[in-house]
Amino acid sequence: MSFLTFAWDWLKSPQQWQGPDGIPSRVLQHLAYSGLSLLIATLIAVPLGLLIGHYGRGGFAVVNVTNIWRAIPTLGLLILVVVLLGLGVLAWLIPLVALAIPPILVNTYEGVAGVDPELKDAARGMGMTSWQVLWKVEVPVAVPLIMLGLRTGAIFVVATATIAAEIGVGGLGRYIIDGLASNNYGEVAGGAAVIVVLALLIQLVFTGLRRLVVPTGLRLQARSSR
Amino acid sequence: MLRIRLAGDADMQWSWIPQNWSIIWPYTLDNLLLGLVPPLIGLVIALPVGIACVARRWLYPPVLSLSSAIYALPSLALFVVLIAYTGLGNLTVIIPLTLFSLCVLIPNVVDGLRSVSEPVRQAATAMGFTQVRRLVQVELPLAVPVVIAGLRVAVVSSISLASLGQLIGVSSLGYFFIDGLQRDFPTEIYVGLALTILLAVLCDVILVVSRALLTPWARGRRIGPSPRLAWPVAGR
Amino acid sequence: MITFDGVTKRYPDGTVAVDSLNLDIPDGKIMVLVGPSGCGKTTTLRMINRLVEPSAGRVLLDGRDVADANPSRLRRGIGYVIQQTGLFPHRTVEDNIATVPMLTGRKKADARARARELMELVGLDPPTMARRYPHQLSGGQQQRVGVARALAADPPVLLMDEPFSAVDPIVRAALQDELIGLQARLHKTVVLVTHDVEEAIKVGDLVAVFRPGGRLAQVDSPERLLGAPADDYVRDFVGFDRGIRRLSFFRAVSLDLATDSVLPAATTLADAITVGKRAGEPWLLVVGGDRKPLGWAAVADLESGPPDATLAGADLAPVGHTFRPEADSLRAALDATLLSRTERAVGVDDGGQVLGTTSYERLRDAIRAAEEAADRAADPVGGGR
Repeated sequence: MSFLTFAWDWLKSPQQWQGPDGIPSRVLQHLAYSGLSLLIATLIAVPLGLLIGHYGRGGFAVVNVTNIWRAIPTLGLLILVVVLLGLGVLAWLIPLVALAIPPILVNTYEGVAGVDPELKDAARGMGMTSWQVLWKVEVPVAVPLIMLGLRTGAIFVVATATIAAEIGVGGLGRYIIDGLASNNYGEVAGGAAVIVVLALLIQLVFTGLRRLVVPTGLRLQARSSR
Repeated sequence: MLRIRLAGDADMQWSWIPQNWSIIWPYTLDNLLLGLVPPLIGLVIALPVGIACVARRWLYPPVLSLSSAIYALPSLALFVVLIAYTGLGNLTVIIPLTLFSLCVLIPNVVDGLRSVSEPVRQAATAMGFTQVRRLVQVELPLAVPVVIAGLRVAVVSSISLASLGQLIGVSSLGYFFIDGLQRDFPTEIYVGLALTILLAVLCDVILVVSRALLTPWARGRRIGPSPRLAWPVAGR
Repeated sequence: MITFDGVTKRYPDGTVAVDSLNLDIPDGKIMVLVGPSGCGKTTTLRMINRLVEPSAGRVLLDGRDVADANPSRLRRGIGYVIQQTGLFPHRTVEDNIATVPMLTGRKKADARARARELMELVGLDPPTMARRYPHQLSGGQQQRVGVARALAADPPVLLMDEPFSAVDPIVRAALQDELIGLQARLHKTVVLVTHDVEEAIKVGDLVAVFRPGGRLAQVDSPERLLGAPADDYVRDFVGFDRGIRRLSFFRAVSLDLATDSVLPAATTLADAITVGKRAGEPWLLVVGGDRKPLGWAAVADLESGPPDATLAGADLAPVGHTFRPEADSLRAALDATLLSRTERAVGVDDGGQVLGTTSYERLRDAIRAAEEAADRAADPVGGGR
């Protein structure tokens, strides 16, 4: 039997769609973990990235920290935190936020630092203050990269929240971890199918969001240079 | 809820390492294998695909969309999808990691080939290079720095992702995380974390050095991975 | 000989880049294609080595249609230099230059030896430069490597597309001089594209002026282009100062230099004043015992000094600019005169000894005579226009 048959058999049973262990409440849990972590990570990483990019100091450190970040095994970090701190909100929030910061930070930084110096010169030459240069020139130009960073962060957080089931957190990963533990492949397959659909939807949302916030001029420019 | 561990309880117990060397070593090797094989398969696939995408421009947008969709999928979900077909073996981990490697490598191959400036391409043609010869002697060598930049991302990410294979029973350094959790024994987790990062950094250094050796002309110039997917695979 | 026989290039969108072009490019000459951007000059050039294929007509190289040749083999026999150099960033200078010889199957050591020869030919020092990469060179050096690379297989034909446009004016002038020097030794058939009339006139044996729409306006020697532009378009294109630039083609040897106002330093002031008044000259050129110029004495100032003193002790204005009538053009003599404080320039021989001095009047007479002579010579040919 194929994956889809297993998944379908499990998904079509009405009992999966109700109660605290049902798919709707698991999806909401998953979105809540991911959303909260992404929000906190964004609130930290975007302003920091803007400042570092604007003042041009510490960029080297940002790039290197993010390179090491890639090597950190998320499962190991999740488990380490739970073993050291015990199960609680912090056990998943700390790793999720800490691991979502780097992609947002480095993209924001690169976005601002990569703004054409001549553009900044022109802005300053027209009499803009340092803050006006940041808000009126650097941020709009950096938006595409910042959005890319947010999308990466979101994808990352959704995936890590799945793994977090291993340390006893709720969310969609529960189906996979519990199903594996009880040799119930139907549950595993059904959970994986829901996660795949959710991940693709989130990807779509960010593609749409990007279209919404990226300045029209930049979008047209990107299209014509393609 | 917050549990404060007693000092000492969370400490590293160094003696554990020599005592358990016989299990540390094989898990490390397995993890290394899972980290290296997918990027290498990925490279073998990404080169022809990337070349095709440069030659036939219409091919690239759909390939890019497909790879960014794949890249959005959590690796654990992909592992368990594959269990239905490839069981609980290495292949079940290697296939998704290869797919993720492709997501980084294809854009890098394409960008690397496109980074060859028009005058250089034109000069090669004007000097009598055939298309194949131009590809082999001019375009591919010039793409090497960008391709290696992508390979670095793919290798480091694969090494760190391989530990997730342990969740479906595929042997890797992830063993120490899960065993450490079950036994509530931090030392094992420290060792697993440290070894994973060490492997990743080691491979990264080897790639950086090989890039410097392979591309003496590019020394002192900063060449990063393709900005399009600068932050792929890691950490799912 | 390269022949364009009714060549038209029309692009799929309907733009006509080159319109029924007929043009002969003789062997061993530098033919410059010049015109504003979009006039089809580069397209014309690129049809010779088949980087562009004509829509109609034929391009013949030594009587054979290039369309019949294998493109790669054809191109290996034609040197090509472009503005952005197109040097391979991953190959050292010597390997860049050795590219075509290696393509045609020469041994690596052989090809590199040849590359080093060529480096010397274009003024690059092989021991210090051969192992460098292109990005470690200045713009002018890169362009020299580009020329050396194009010459490596010793092709009879050299195509150059805006070869000197990316470097600063001083380097550009030096590279132009080097090209002229190289050509004097190598006698290639050179086709050079530029938008710079100045450059066309300086380096070209023949200049083809294109007008927008890919049509030929005039093909002529630079001298005739300045002297007898075919129509208003060419006249405007070569510029309002074409009269002055034309002087570059008249040799200064025709200039009648003043010699009576040149005096040795031992001359007394009284004698000098007499000479100056007789000649009607406010300035006298003082020369040393070796007849090299020392400076200019102003006749008006000499009167305040003791009459029996000599010019050696007088206050002298600097010599200013000199020129060599045997080698330089009337243009050089005019420039030297205009730029000197005394409004006079000093003509000297190869040893630096004074032959005489110029003045505006003498220059005017020489220019008038030279133009008349040139127009007389041009008339039988240009009469039909």
